[in-house]
Amino acid sequence: MITVWTLAALLAYVVAAGAFGVGLKSPREQLISWATMALAVGAGLQTVDLLLQALKAGNLPVATFAQSLALLAWITAVVGMVVITRLRLALVGAVVAPAVAIALAAACLMAQNDDRSLPRALRSAWLPVHVTLAFLGQALFVLAAGVSLLYLLKESRLKAKRPLEIPDSRLPSLESLDRINYRLLACGFVLLSLAIVTGALWAAGTWGRFWSWEPVELWSLVLWVLYAALLQSRLAIGVRGRRAARLTIALFAVLLCSYLGVNLLVPGKHGGSFG
Amino acid sequence: MISGTLCIIGLSHHTAPVELRERLAFSPGEVADTLLNLKRSQPTVSEAALVSTCNRVEMVAAASDPDLAQAELLSFLAAERKLEQHALRKVHYRLAGRAAVRHLFRVGASLDSMVVGEPQILGQLKAAYAQAVEAGAVGLILHRAFHKTFSVAKLVRKSTAIGAGSVSVSAAAVRLARQIFDSLRDKTVMLLGAGRMAELTARHLTQLGVESLVIANHRLERAAALARDLGGTAVALEHCMPYLKLADVVIGSAAVREPILTPAELHSVMRERLHRPMFLIDLGVPRNFHRGLDELENVFLYDIDDLGRIAAEALSEREQEAHRAELIVEREVDAFCRWLERLELVPAIKAVRSRIDLLRDHEFRRHRAWLATLLPDDRAHVEALVRGVTNKVLHQILSELRQLGQEPDKEVALSIAQRLLGVSVSAPGLPAPQEARRKSGSDPRG
Repeated sequence: MITVWTLAALLAYVVAAGAFGVGLKSPREQLISWATMALAVGAGLQTVDLLLQALKAGNLPVATFAQSLALLAWITAVVGMVVITRLRLALVGAVVAPAVAIALAAACLMAQNDDRSLPRALRSAWLPVHVTLAFLGQALFVLAAGVSLLYLLKESRLKAKRPLEIPDSRLPSLESLDRINYRLLACGFVLLSLAIVTGALWAAGTWGRFWSWEPVELWSLVLWVLYAALLQSRLAIGVRGRRAARLTIALFAVLLCSYLGVNLLVPGKHGGSFG
Repeated sequence: MISGTLCIIGLSHHTAPVELRERLAFSPGEVADTLLNLKRSQPTVSEAALVSTCNRVEMVAAASDPDLAQAELLSFLAAERKLEQHALRKVHYRLAGRAAVRHLFRVGASLDSMVVGEPQILGQLKAAYAQAVEAGAVGLILHRAFHKTFSVAKLVRKSTAIGAGSVSVSAAAVRLARQIFDSLRDKTVMLLGAGRMAELTARHLTQLGVESLVIANHRLERAAALARDLGGTAVALEHCMPYLKLADVVIGSAAVREPILTPAELHSVMRERLHRPMFLIDLGVPRNFHRGLDELENVFLYDIDDLGRIAAEALSEREQEAHRAELIVEREVDAFCRWLERLELVPAIKAVRSRIDLLRDHEFRRHRAWLATLLPDDRAHVEALVRGVTNKVLHQILSELRQLGQEPDKEVALSIAQRLLGVSVSAPGLPAPQEARRKSGSDPRG
């Protein structure tokens, strides 16, 4: 359901994305702080929007794909703000802001007059736990991909012997970016694991089966294995730096395709219809 | 006395050689006494501060007669340092008014520094100001001038990139190291060859916290001597390979005909160190590292030309920024000079105000007997009425007078204003004698 709050949040995200885009090239530090502020404002507005919708639904507003996409955008924006402020990594907003703007815009386009409520079978205390874990994990993977992009940007400038093109203060050292990427991946992996476990427990309680080889379950497992391999390869054979960044982005592409695929093409119990 | 002009005499690296600068320099302990001395012996100078750094010795002062004050300051400085005045005559500069304000602002913003944009000068100016305040040598004008200097410097630093960039090869190398590594504390630096520039870079890195240093050299004695000096391990150059996998930064400056490291060798080293990044700094000519090393992942190779180019780019960046900074300084100089000009008008404004006040009080006194017959309310009303009229007239005159201060031919305008109002500004702040006498009498309004 689209409200004034949704549209206001979308506008703020679009402004943030634009300001980050321009600010990336401009030497003016001010633009970046304005962009960060716009992103924060967008997240704030969407918080109000989602709270109102959650009160109305009596649970997380995830009855339709559009709603769950909007929720995912919000979680990504919030986690993005945490990374920006805690790690002083404002430029990650250049990835987060367009991502959430596109996600929320898509959610708005798909929402239309869809005012379905959640099926009775899914109205459970498990729902917020499972969905929050899963979405938080996905948000961290978005951010890991964003940080990886920044790593590649910085690394390519250093390799090209043109380090002055990005002011030193804009991005932390390669070593930090690499470490931040690793931590985001590790946290995302833990959350993904917990989401799978809680999903299985909830399914066992509702349908009497832990696992039913649904598309989402299948792809979650595939992604779990892939992310586990990425994390393990760093420790075992030192996949770090450029290679780790590229693999993080590649894995994110797989995540994105599977997310869109299972939600739009072959929706199972997880999909928009919650059949 | 409030009014006055900022004036500066001094010499700097632009005008005087280091031999002379060091003879003139004042240690921090001497500054207070010198300023007290100055206050005792030179009455023309109403406020003063002494700035003494390795690049400049300057006296910043406020005085109503800048020419005289400058001459006095010069002879004072020469006498203090037991130099002949003529030794200073050729190498010193004297600035007054606008030029002095601009100079002070430029010095603070590090536009007059030997390395433009270096940050130390601001701290030195702050210290000089604090010493002058402590010596009781600072008044209204210098307080404001120094505070303005500090805020201009801050503004310049905030809105331009004048302090950015590394202007030497070793500084560029260190800057790059910080772009690659997060903390240098837990890193190992390895020197292949112990050349002068490699030593300088290593010294720079140890100052930033590098604790682990390996020095490999053809001549082991030289490596050992440097290792003792900087705190590290010395090895012979031909036995350096086992240490390589520990090194995060490798500085090559050995005299070699063939590159020391081949891509294949480094590749296996990288595998051993689990591909943790490695920064290779090649300061050798001929070069110590094969160009192909740069192709390896997580290896960053910069040779002396790359570093030189970065240093030069940073320098030209600074020059461009300096131009922007000059514009900021010029704007602030304007603002400060306007303030000074208004300050010059303060005596005139005071004179006009007291002149009108006295006229009014005089009239009250003349009608004291009649006023006494009125009811208290009516009396208050009459007094308010008269005061209202005079204040309105005064306001009009004073705002015109403030305007006059901004105009180019203000001298002429001021003298006309003085004649019209019957006040003299040459004896600032004092009304005409007969009125002064009346004012000292009992309050006519009572």
